[in-house]
Amino acid sequence: MTSLLNQLNPSIKAFTVILLVCLLTFVFDPFTPLVYCLFTILLTFVCGKIAWKRYMLYFLIIILLSVGMLWTTLAFADEPNRPHDTMEILFWDIPKEDVTVALALTLRMLAFASLSFMFIFTTNMVHFILSLMQQCKLSPKLAYGVLAGYRFLPLMKDELNQIRAAHQIRGVRRANGIKESIQQYKRYAIPLLAGAIRKAERTAVAMESKGFSGERQRTFYRTFTVKWQDWTFLVGMLLLFFIIIMISIKLGYFSWYKGQF
Amino acid sequence: MINVSNLSLWFHEDNDKPIISNLSFQLDRGETMLLLGPSGSGKSTLTHCLNGIYPRELDGKMTGDVTIFGQSIHDAHPGTISKQVGVVFQDPESQFCMLTVEDEIAFGLENICTPPLEISRKIDEVLQMVDLIDDKHSVISSLSGGQKQKLALACVLALEPEILILDEPTANLDPQATQEFIKTIQTIKQKKSMGIIVIEHQLEGWVSFIDRSFILSKDGKCMYDGPLARIISDNKESVLEEGICLPKITKLVLTAAEQNKAAYISPPLTIKDTPSLVTYMDNSFLEKTIPAAHQADIILSASRVTQNKKQKRVLHQIDFDLYESSFVAIIGANGSGKTSLTKVLSGIEAPTHGDILLRQHPIRNWKEKLLRKEIGYVFQNPEHQFITDTVFDEIAYSLRLHPYSESYIEEKVHYTLVNCQLQGFEHRHPYSLSQGQKRRLSVATMIVDEQKILFLDEPTFGQDAASTLKLMQMLKERHAKGTSIIMVTHDMDIVDKYADRVLVLENGEIIRDQSPDQLWKDSDLRRWHLDYPTRIQLQQHLEVNQHDFAIKST
Amino acid sequence: MNNWKLKEIIVMSVLSVVFGIVYLAFLPIGKILVSFMGPIGYDFIFGIWFIVSIIAAYIIRKPGAAFLSETIAATVEMLLGNAMGPIIIITGIIQGLGAEAAFALTKWKRYSLWVLMLAGVGAAIFSFVWGYFRSGYAALSTPYILGMLCIRMISGAIISGLLGKAISDSLAKTGVLSSFALGKQIRKERSAS
Repeated sequence: MTSLLNQLNPSIKAFTVILLVCLLTFVFDPFTPLVYCLFTILLTFVCGKIAWKRYMLYFLIIILLSVGMLWTTLAFADEPNRPHDTMEILFWDIPKEDVTVALALTLRMLAFASLSFMFIFTTNMVHFILSLMQQCKLSPKLAYGVLAGYRFLPLMKDELNQIRAAHQIRGVRRANGIKESIQQYKRYAIPLLAGAIRKAERTAVAMESKGFSGERQRTFYRTFTVKWQDWTFLVGMLLLFFIIIMISIKLGYFSWYKGQF
Repeated sequence: MINVSNLSLWFHEDNDKPIISNLSFQLDRGETMLLLGPSGSGKSTLTHCLNGIYPRELDGKMTGDVTIFGQSIHDAHPGTISKQVGVVFQDPESQFCMLTVEDEIAFGLENICTPPLEISRKIDEVLQMVDLIDDKHSVISSLSGGQKQKLALACVLALEPEILILDEPTANLDPQATQEFIKTIQTIKQKKSMGIIVIEHQLEGWVSFIDRSFILSKDGKCMYDGPLARIISDNKESVLEEGICLPKITKLVLTAAEQNKAAYISPPLTIKDTPSLVTYMDNSFLEKTIPAAHQADIILSASRVTQNKKQKRVLHQIDFDLYESSFVAIIGANGSGKTSLTKVLSGIEAPTHGDILLRQHPIRNWKEKLLRKEIGYVFQNPEHQFITDTVFDEIAYSLRLHPYSESYIEEKVHYTLVNCQLQGFEHRHPYSLSQGQKRRLSVATMIVDEQKILFLDEPTFGQDAASTLKLMQMLKERHAKGTSIIMVTHDMDIVDKYADRVLVLENGEIIRDQSPDQLWKDSDLRRWHLDYPTRIQLQQHLEVNQHDFAIKST
Repeated sequence: MNNWKLKEIIVMSVLSVVFGIVYLAFLPIGKILVSFMGPIGYDFIFGIWFIVSIIAAYIIRKPGAAFLSETIAATVEMLLGNAMGPIIIITGIIQGLGAEAAFALTKWKRYSLWVLMLAGVGAAIFSFVWGYFRSGYAALSTPYILGMLCIRMISGAIISGLLGKAISDSLAKTGVLSSFALGKQIRKERSAS
């Protein structure tokens, strides 16, 4: 196991993932996404240093979700073109065409997930944003503004727990019904947001007093560069995609997304 | 270095009342100045002017000028000012934008275009200076409040400013972290000759190395500029009137003098100086006046209470009986379980093991509505407790949960408003009140229903002298009417002055449960990171040095 | 980005963080609705997923607020573990563009309730077109698809437009927005009356 994936340039990695997700959207057969998904998972396992337990857990959730999606697509499917060509799953006659469509959708989702996880589990978010600034000329004002906001995430959780307890002691009843729930959400939201906005303003002042002006002219303590490995990764992932499509066409599985009705 | 001339500032163009008005002063190299003033007198606004945030970010208007090394802030580039003036702010949670310690320090250096190699050298240097080098790669959110403030200081020092502004840097820290922070500043001041401006409410520790004081009045005008001791001896009434905190020892001596129980050459600012400056003090003034708690009926009792969170022990084998109309203080180092104990006792959190009985019935069997009529709880951040849009509704809220008539509610609310000195604010939004008023409002919402037990989590934190006094008076009145008060606090003088019983917590266990007077006689409070109240410190100091100016009156 | 103040950017990103969490929290609720009534279940509460663009735009009132906030919220959602991963960012971008389009129509000058509701509808339409391709609504029957679109538009107008305005207004009442466009407008109205 290596940490090759972790060392790639975050911007190129993100670009690769997004590009492939877009390409996969145009494919509408079960075979291509399935094979691509399996390859991506394999690649993540071999070339990535990641938190396996969490990876598995996340994937499990995704698989459960996709089973749900499979069911809804089958149940609410459009009238098939060839209704008599059916197959039997668990004593239930379903048009074969619907099954293919449902499987294609579901497996496509799994392929998306495998690509996403490959990115999320091997990338440090601060590094990603720093790289976006250095490679993609993202405005430092926006980049550091977002980082500052992102820091609030763990604070929010504590804050929400405290607000909940503080409201309980005021005798705020647990909500019954939709109207009360909405009111309750609002009651939590206002102190939470008000506190956060005030903190945000203070953070802005603190950042500015450290000499941050949002100008592009600055040095970087951590520098990110694009190396040949990064381009190899991008090209390799694309090649893999086209090879799988070739095989898929050869085997007669392949189908474009044609806006099926 | 800094030259402020005729500076006035308005937050809104059309407003006739300025936030600060007509301020002029100079700060020279290596000088340390204390900036004093009640909450809302414009201290923070002034710092914003000194570090170049204003006028750039100001929506109102500004007249007069501030020059830093001869350059006006009106035409300075933001980067240049930050190299000259560094600020450490009050809130440890909202000064950072990166996730780790080294990245945060690097951020400031990147802003002024320091070359990367130089950055890593400077990071090590400043971390060494503030004694955080072991945490170089730590995530900021895992640091304690005191460490965060040291990091904020390190970030500023990395830019090598000539002037350091400390905007209430220890207001959110416990006494131990505060002392450590002040010590760090003192060492740095010895190494580098920086100009320092300190804004603080608690003056202990700072006064020993302050050269002069600049005092702002409520309306943002300059009230005094000179040595602190002089204004106290010349015109102490005006200082106290403005609600400015004096060092506790100063206050003690002044109060004694008012009652003709002390005399001094000049008011002392530290305990160390007291023996040489005070000529006479009646010993009786250093004696306790509050009687210890008497045994009465038990209203709340905990037996063998244990609480674990994430397999970590928070509270362990707590046995505690609360008597009717007692005033209990809970003290202990940070993380010793003080807040958890109050939350468990008040039924907000459930214990893992053990029982809590409220009027002989298990607290978990009480209906929420009835329980809240018995027990009130004032959280550390009062804003968290507000749920309506006006002060009036806020107080009326818990009354409206009962079938009371609207006229009764109105009468009750007005009575409480007067009680909490909030009359005239009925229609304001709770969030728009001052810190002290917010705190009193949150107490008001908790006593309006005549709750018999009131818990408070560090109610005097970060408030000026006037607000603290008002709040404590209010609690004292409540207590006199038979409410039991249980208060978590770091302020030993408050414990000494108001509590009749004190619990010391360590690692989730009650290790002392006695009257404050008995506790002070205990061999060494410092091993639990606690201080003695001022009068005891003075007594101890006198005993060690065998001064004899304290004479028992006949 | 140059005419934005740093505090506006941070406030926007904080709002996005908060609503990123809210978005994630509403996913299971959507799932429950879907299991009762099929894919159309999502559309009833779809407006919740545009709400940050309306709130951010209404508070800050600068071009790009709706678009950026929705994009950041989607990114946060991804980081917290939305199963869809980076694709959710694209979804966010498209929804943000939909809301931004409505504000662009008024040249970022008007922020009345109607404009806010229109922004909600805009986000709904954009997100629907995207969903059509990505989630393969094509496999569903035509009347069903039209029903989904209508419900989503109504949800966008009411949940994100109406509720978003209500939340921002009560936030403004606390006074914390006094140095932002919404707070300033309220001040102006008050001193005028």
